Amino acid sequence: MPDLAQLLAAEVPLSWYLILSVILFVIGAAGFLIRRNIITVFMCIELMLNAVNLSFIAFSHKLKMVDGHIYSFFVMVVAAAEAAVGLAIILTVFKNRETLEIDEVSSLKL
Amino acid sequence: MPEGYLPIFIFLICAILFPLVLLAIFRYLRPSLPIPVKLEAYECGIRAASNARGRYTVRFYIVAILFVVFDVETIFLFPWAVRFRQLAWFGVAEVAVFLSILIVGYIWAYKKGALEWV
Amino acid sequence: MTETVFFYCFAALAVAGAILTVTMRNAVHCAISLIASLGGVAGLYLMLHAEFLFAVQIVLYIGGIMVLFLFVIMLVNLEAAARERQFHRSWVGGLLCAGGTGAMLAWFWLRGAGTLRLPPAVQPTPREGGNVESLAMVLFRDYLVPFELASLLLLVAIVGGVMMAKKRI
Repeated sequence: MPDLAQLLAAEVPLSWYLILSVILFVIGAAGFLIRRNIITVFMCIELMLNAVNLSFIAFSHKLKMVDGHIYSFFVMVVAAAEAAVGLAIILTVFKNRETLEIDEVSSLKL
Repeated sequence: MPEGYLPIFIFLICAILFPLVLLAIFRYLRPSLPIPVKLEAYECGIRAASNARGRYTVRFYIVAILFVVFDVETIFLFPWAVRFRQLAWFGVAEVAVFLSILIVGYIWAYKKGALEWV
Repeated sequence: MTETVFFYCFAALAVAGAILTVTMRNAVHCAISLIASLGGVAGLYLMLHAEFLFAVQIVLYIGGIMVLFLFVIMLVNLEAAARERQFHRSWVGGLLCAGGTGAMLAWFWLRGAGTLRLPPAVQPTPREGGNVESLAMVLFRDYLVPFELASLLLLVAIVGGVMMAKKRI
């Protein structure tokens, strides 16, 4: 059991960032599994990407290199491209099926 | 932690807490007498035409896509701008290739009529 | 001391936003909670000396991607979407899977925290300037090809997004 002095340490250790990253990732994964609305499922994916970015940057800070920053930056760029195309696909699915439930969209052809 | 950001962090925390605390306090102080007219959205005295949660036209979405893509493009230019002199002509050539590929997409979208507000 | 306090503040914001994103029924409320969570993570970036990514997180994620999400929520019929079932029938199973993953990762951390051997921090050649300047030199020298390929990816995103959405007009 860590005491109060340890919890209020002067410098935040790397492992705290990693644990926060795990917590965010698991919340995102749980949301991905339990939600039925396509848009919310997509938001949970963004949450998971963000959790991974956080651990990249924590390691990058520890190792004093900017490579981790660049990986995170490219993850964000890919997320932007993915959101643009993915949300357009969601719009098309909604137009064809009039539903946003993922289980209703189970066949490739209408 | 960068020490210079301390005032900004404190300001940020205050800015987040201020409305929350005020809303929490006044929730218990003010009388609550909701009537339909009071709960309506305030539009300078004009009666609201419809709910704000109605459906919008898809043209807004196309503009939003193009905005996000060119937003990313602009962010890529920022690091180049701060190291413009050190990178010299090599950097200019890199960014020229980068921009020319994206401008192809812009011209395509223009030709396709994605930017027209029919 | 102050650093730890701010870490707790931002971490609490990020986790609370994430939990609300998963549990809220209305998609608009989910999006707003996700914005709060992203804002908390942005604060952590600033604490980790990643000023450029802090700005990118705000400008690109909160200002770009989340606006796109809100547009799509507005484009689909909100009343009809809210009446649909929001949670999966076997949500207990989903929570168990996610919790198991979390427990496994936590167990790895507890058992292996001492054995994690990071290479000693390389002392980069001192470059004048801050985070954005050093990132610029690495991005435009070492990561030249990914940078150029990113433009190709964005081109594909324009074409894909416009083609998909254009069909509806």
